[in-house]
Amino acid sequence: MTASICLQNLTVNFDDRFKLSEIDWSITPDQHWVITGTNGAGKSALGAVLAGAGEIESGTLSGVPGKVGLVSFEAQAELIAQELKKDDADIMDVIAEGTPVREMIFNDCADPDLASELVEKFGLTGLLDRAFRKLSTGETRKMMLIRALSSKPDLLILDEPFDGLDANTLVMLQEHLAAIVDDVPMILVLNRFDEMPAFITHVAYVDKGRLTHTVDRQDETAFNELYQLLHLKTTDLDVPEADPASTLPALDPEQPLVNLKNIRVKYGDDVIIDGLDWTIERGQHWQLSGPNGSGKTCLLSLITGDHPQCYVNDIFVFGFQRGNGESIWQIKQFIGYVSTALQWEYRVSTSCKNVIISGFYDSIGMYTKSTDKQKEIADQWLALLGMSDRADQPFNKLSYGDQRLLLIARAMVKHPPLLILDEPCLGLDDMNRQLVLALIEKICEAKNTTVLYVNHHAEDQIAGIENFLALTKHS
Amino acid sequence: MANYFNTLPLREQLEQLGKCRFMALSEFADGVEALKGKKMVVVGCGAQGLNQGLNLRDSGLDVSYALRPEAIAEKRQSWKNATENGFTVGTYEELIPTADVVLNLTPDKQHTAVVNAVMPLMKEGACLSYSHGFNIVEEGMKIRDDLTVIMVAPKCPGSEVRAEYVRGFGVPTLIAVHEDNDPKGEGLALAKAYAVGTGGHKAGVLMSSFIAEVKSDLMGEQTILCGMLQTGSILCFDKMVEEGIDAGYASKLIQYGWETITEALKYGGVTNMLDRLSNPAKIKAFDLAEELKQIMRPLYNKHQDDIMNGNFSSGMMEDWANDDIKLHTWRAETAETNFEKTPAGDVEISEQEFFDNGILMVAMVKAGVELAFETMTAAGIIAESAYYESLHETPLIANTIARKKLYEMNATISDTAEYGCYLYNHACVPLLADFMKGIKSDVIGKGLSVEDNGVDNARLIEVNTALRSHPVEAVGSVLRGHMADMKKIV
Repeated sequence: MTASICLQNLTVNFDDRFKLSEIDWSITPDQHWVITGTNGAGKSALGAVLAGAGEIESGTLSGVPGKVGLVSFEAQAELIAQELKKDDADIMDVIAEGTPVREMIFNDCADPDLASELVEKFGLTGLLDRAFRKLSTGETRKMMLIRALSSKPDLLILDEPFDGLDANTLVMLQEHLAAIVDDVPMILVLNRFDEMPAFITHVAYVDKGRLTHTVDRQDETAFNELYQLLHLKTTDLDVPEADPASTLPALDPEQPLVNLKNIRVKYGDDVIIDGLDWTIERGQHWQLSGPNGSGKTCLLSLITGDHPQCYVNDIFVFGFQRGNGESIWQIKQFIGYVSTALQWEYRVSTSCKNVIISGFYDSIGMYTKSTDKQKEIADQWLALLGMSDRADQPFNKLSYGDQRLLLIARAMVKHPPLLILDEPCLGLDDMNRQLVLALIEKICEAKNTTVLYVNHHAEDQIAGIENFLALTKHS
Repeated sequence: MANYFNTLPLREQLEQLGKCRFMALSEFADGVEALKGKKMVVVGCGAQGLNQGLNLRDSGLDVSYALRPEAIAEKRQSWKNATENGFTVGTYEELIPTADVVLNLTPDKQHTAVVNAVMPLMKEGACLSYSHGFNIVEEGMKIRDDLTVIMVAPKCPGSEVRAEYVRGFGVPTLIAVHEDNDPKGEGLALAKAYAVGTGGHKAGVLMSSFIAEVKSDLMGEQTILCGMLQTGSILCFDKMVEEGIDAGYASKLIQYGWETITEALKYGGVTNMLDRLSNPAKIKAFDLAEELKQIMRPLYNKHQDDIMNGNFSSGMMEDWANDDIKLHTWRAETAETNFEKTPAGDVEISEQEFFDNGILMVAMVKAGVELAFETMTAAGIIAESAYYESLHETPLIANTIARKKLYEMNATISDTAEYGCYLYNHACVPLLADFMKGIKSDVIGKGLSVEDNGVDNARLIEVNTALRSHPVEAVGSVLRGHMADMKKIV
């Protein structure tokens, strides 16, 4: 391959079952890519497009070389389907064996010597005379790999090539691929980062039919973040349980979580909020939006009890009509909270693990001995975030984004009845943002937490949020 | 009014001075119950008044603010502080008669006027709370017999009282009951509930007496806390400039140096502060401190004596009556010192360099802390009180100097502390004149110029033993242990 492959604003339809949308991607001949993403994200489709699959709806695809070697489950299924079609032997009244493996490999083979060598290495020698369709799935896969590798391709696309291979064969295949990297550019579709061969130079990340990230492996930060993202997306995102020993008072199911009536907030003569009514029912996820200065954070702090004027407004929260002898800790026990202000205030020298645990105590820093169970839950959150290795590192030495992730875990750790996320993604890079959004979606799905999400980025929509409150700026 | 302390027989003076006990968290199990549903009216809406009120309200208590009519009519800062935070504000006449507890959080100087105005309005059997005992102990204010009088004194600036509460913690707090005014025997219960309401119980509460608080607080603030750091700043700066060190560097070394070296003090006492030095520097600092202690001991004794016999407070009250003429003159002088007028240079000074090039500053802190502690305990103040009012609070003032230098530091602390600070400084600067003549840049500004860090083993052992066996280290390690238990910031 001598020219670059170029995908420009490419939209491809796959029998109306799936669509790749607006892909922009370029692959130079000296690059070796891994395409990754979650199940169903479209990574196999993207690989297959380069081998001519799908119907281009718009955009352009150029520079694809003539000879593409493709190994994938889809190609395998197609080959098997073709073989089954040949088996129209009922009209001939003979038992058709189908095409033997030898024929499948050596007919039209560009490099028979290599093919023989690979047959040997893959342990298919004894199966050469067997009919192709009698092979097991793994054997079929091996045969396809031999065919592709010995076809002298200009581009090799291997979709999950290591799946189902035993350890020895896997090592052999990896070594073989490593030996030919200078001859042919490769694109591997992989679910797992730890299977990524050393020669891979770039990673493409596909999500919901879109190519969302392309990362140079040299860029360690971006690479690690992508790793975390994939880790999060492909782990079943089991949100760790709440502390079973927690003794949160039961809430009356008949009452709303929050009921604000005729809210007025002003500083001096500046009116911030004037006459707002708002009720948040249990399980009713809300998105709050509005321009800077429209009073979003102010409104939230009336709910959390952080705003001093909560005492002069008609505020009902978690069974308390505010200003009747309740303490803010009785309110905060029902709330998980993250905001930029919290991160700014969270300036204590404590470990990452303690930051998560402090969510059980609604404190900034830890002032109480935590239980073993709480430590265990914090460990699970760290694992979920892909940050287990940083459990004991000081929080204030972490990057802004990592701090933010920990504070989000802190907010979620006790499975609060109300989870308030005030611009949780602010300052996060693209990948961390997706990671956080995925977590929020997961929390929304669960029944026991009501989510109140604040942002002004329209693209950060959360599935499951169906109620919207837009504040406008008071002039 | 007569000095209350001086009216007591020696036996009782000693008993009151000796009161100081670190309370167990379990003693606060009743939380704010004793104050639940009671009306708390704060007089004074400065940093302590506002922030304590915010905490108490957030702990579920009923708090409002009584201000003078002119503060309300003119919408002064105190009025703004209270109303913008959603508190009920009214005049003394409107609010005091409804109060179950009146929290007097005005500056010492206003206490007599405030209490005289408030007391006739207070209802039968109510409680009057102070956060400093000067008015009772030094001015001899006599409170109506039916009223309960307590003290709750958070040992941090108001902003920190609030910030720590919001984090879910609190600041160390001293409480006391004025035994002459505890008609219903509920003083302690109210003081404990108040300390819980401000979050203080989480950081540690000391049960003390009005007398111990006043006599130790005055001694600490005017000697080691403010006085020694002020004198040290002025002398060290002038010496460095005299020695040819860049003035910007000198200014920065001092402004931030106190904070850095006393941070080590906060964590591990005088021992740890000196352990941050190389062995030769440690021995040097030790020797300088011994010399300083010898020179300054009479001054510390004089301050303690004047505090005990009431001369200090009567002198200061004379100045109050004289429109603060002395205070204002001294304040203006502070603004004119070379250190104050020289901004910190744009140079990097590493954390360790503050120690290495500030050996004399380390020696001054050591001498001041130990002298204040020794003088206080010799005068009958119990070691725990003496520790808190000397070593424990030094980093707080050092931190203020780092942020504001001397002039603003003095403006931030109480008038009482400021007056005492100047008194000390005026006596101490000339007292150290001869000593300073022998000081060179090796102990301030440049660091020791030694071939290697070798020292005599026997001498090092002697110095280390002396450091570690000082009584302030013994009580300090116990009290810091309590604090660490509670403030478990791992």
